[in-house]
Amino acid sequence: MRSRRRATVIACFLAPSLLIFIVYRILPLVWNVVLSFEYWSPLHPATWAGLDNYQEMLQDDDVFWLALWNTLIFLGSQPVAIALALGIALLVNSDLKGASVYRTIVFLSYPLMTVAVAIIWHWMYNERGGLINYALRQLGIIHQPIAFLDSFAWALPSIIIANTWQVLGFFMIVLLSGLQNIPPHLYEAARVDGAPAWARFFRITLPMLRPSVFLCLVIGMLNSFSAFDLIYVMTNGGPGHATELLITYIYKQGFVSTRFDYAAALTVAQFAILLLLTWIAHRAVGGNAGAIE
Amino acid sequence: MATLELRDLRKSFGPVEVVPGVNLDVAEHEFVVLVGPSGCGKSTILRMIAGLEEPTSGDIVIDGAVVTQREPKDRDIAMVFQDYALYPHMTVAENMAFALRYRHVKRADIRRRVSEVARMLEIEPLLQRTPRQLSGGQRQRVAMGRAIVRDPKLFLFDEPLSNLDAKLRVQMRTELRKLRDAVPTTTIYVTHDQVEAMTLADRIVILNHGRIEQIGTPEDVYDTPATAFVASFIGAPAMNLLPARLDHRQLRLEDGTVLPCPLDGARDVLCGIRPESLVWSTQPSGPCLHGTALTVEPLGADTLVTFLVGDTEIAARLPPRSIRRAGEALTLMLDPAVVHVFDQETGQRI
Repeated sequence: MRSRRRATVIACFLAPSLLIFIVYRILPLVWNVVLSFEYWSPLHPATWAGLDNYQEMLQDDDVFWLALWNTLIFLGSQPVAIALALGIALLVNSDLKGASVYRTIVFLSYPLMTVAVAIIWHWMYNERGGLINYALRQLGIIHQPIAFLDSFAWALPSIIIANTWQVLGFFMIVLLSGLQNIPPHLYEAARVDGAPAWARFFRITLPMLRPSVFLCLVIGMLNSFSAFDLIYVMTNGGPGHATELLITYIYKQGFVSTRFDYAAALTVAQFAILLLLTWIAHRAVGGNAGAIE
Repeated sequence: MATLELRDLRKSFGPVEVVPGVNLDVAEHEFVVLVGPSGCGKSTILRMIAGLEEPTSGDIVIDGAVVTQREPKDRDIAMVFQDYALYPHMTVAENMAFALRYRHVKRADIRRRVSEVARMLEIEPLLQRTPRQLSGGQRQRVAMGRAIVRDPKLFLFDEPLSNLDAKLRVQMRTELRKLRDAVPTTTIYVTHDQVEAMTLADRIVILNHGRIEQIGTPEDVYDTPATAFVASFIGAPAMNLLPARLDHRQLRLEDGTVLPCPLDGARDVLCGIRPESLVWSTQPSGPCLHGTALTVEPLGADTLVTFLVGDTEIAARLPPRSIRRAGEALTLMLDPAVVHVFDQETGQRI
């Protein structure tokens, strides 16, 4: 009787959040999956399409494959960003003079609105008055300005750099908190045990940072699959489809071409890829991600 | 096995001098315990010996070689930390083998040595577990195993039993004693627990504010404490220190009690009486202390009683059931030969 009343109380507390979660997360997800197996547009009633949308996506749509490839490249840049952030975290965690000032400076980029970051970097990459072209010319590295965001070769790397700059602060803070949670006695024991500096890093720091690295990897992954605003403001997926990511392609199919059924199929594909990658990341950190040692 | 010598070892953190000059000689195979209250500098001294803190001045000599500027790994020492410092992501076997890997020991030898030490410490079934799968006592054994497997010149223990509960601490203390006999390596052991110091040490070094108050065997420091601080630190309950006046071979306590004393001269002193030196009798004779019991703590084997002499509360360890409740009047006999006398100003033994 008592446990039943307890269960009712728990259910009452959970109900509001659960309701919001179901209405705003679960139902759209289910509806999206259903929609991906239909022909539907706002002006036509839904009809069963079977696997047609998926067949088109996998067999006939070159832009899908390009967007997927670009997304994977974007994703591949995240470990580089994490490595850079770890380097900075190690520096500001040391006895470096003014470490807290550097820590604040590096973190400052993260709370900025992505649209603001996109506008700042759009200006910095500008062919005529951009800071980067100006600096490269002043240093004598280039003689002709580079149209970074209009070049098929440079557009994607340029956006990746802007994205890395923005997430670096967040990764650094996560890794720094992980570093500060490693008991200093472990390093002292390792010094007494005769482990050189590289061994202390690879055999103590890195394994102890697993949960933090996993968190950064997952957030980086989500960021790669949802970097819509940065791309939309800086290049809108161009030139051509050179900076098209799955997320921008889904948007264009849904809200520009009004092919919501096909966009739903693309969304399901993105969801499946994300699940797979999260599982791989979880395995890569030893299957105990998030565990507190 | 090795000798250890500390030559005028000093350590300051900024303007604060925590170790104002320590000299100590430790013989081969000797088990020396550094004991003192929190903040007395004992762990700092140990960390300087380990090479984890750089001395402000002075020298550390191990086996005749000055190692003050050497890295910890080059001192051939092994250390057991207060919180064990086991690597949480490694198994027990990996933890124990860790140091050997960096000493270029062959894999087969590493396996053999880990296995031997695990057998000695009875932790063989735990070798494939990680530290978080172990109890406090098991972690303690693994930490000791990790030190023993190295076969170092010097063992350093930094309050290794302080994280254990009371019962386990007593058990581990006994095991440490057995281990001490089985592995007679020169050892420096830091603790704030005087019982650990008394039971484990060949010699005890008692520290106060970074200075050595006394060095001696457990019997020495108990029977003839060099200062009032040592007298109050060694022994449980602590020695009673009563203000008194030494007046030509007589000690006059605050309550007027007069005790015969072999010392001459006239000055203010502290009269040290161990709680166990006070004797309860139904027919007291000779010099006695009189009072009314303030607290009575029956411990089974004996009863701890506190009472007032003048304005000073003093403790007595009496036979069980000799005093049953607070408020009872008591008269305790005192053998003047076991009274310690310290200078009231300097605290030095007279």
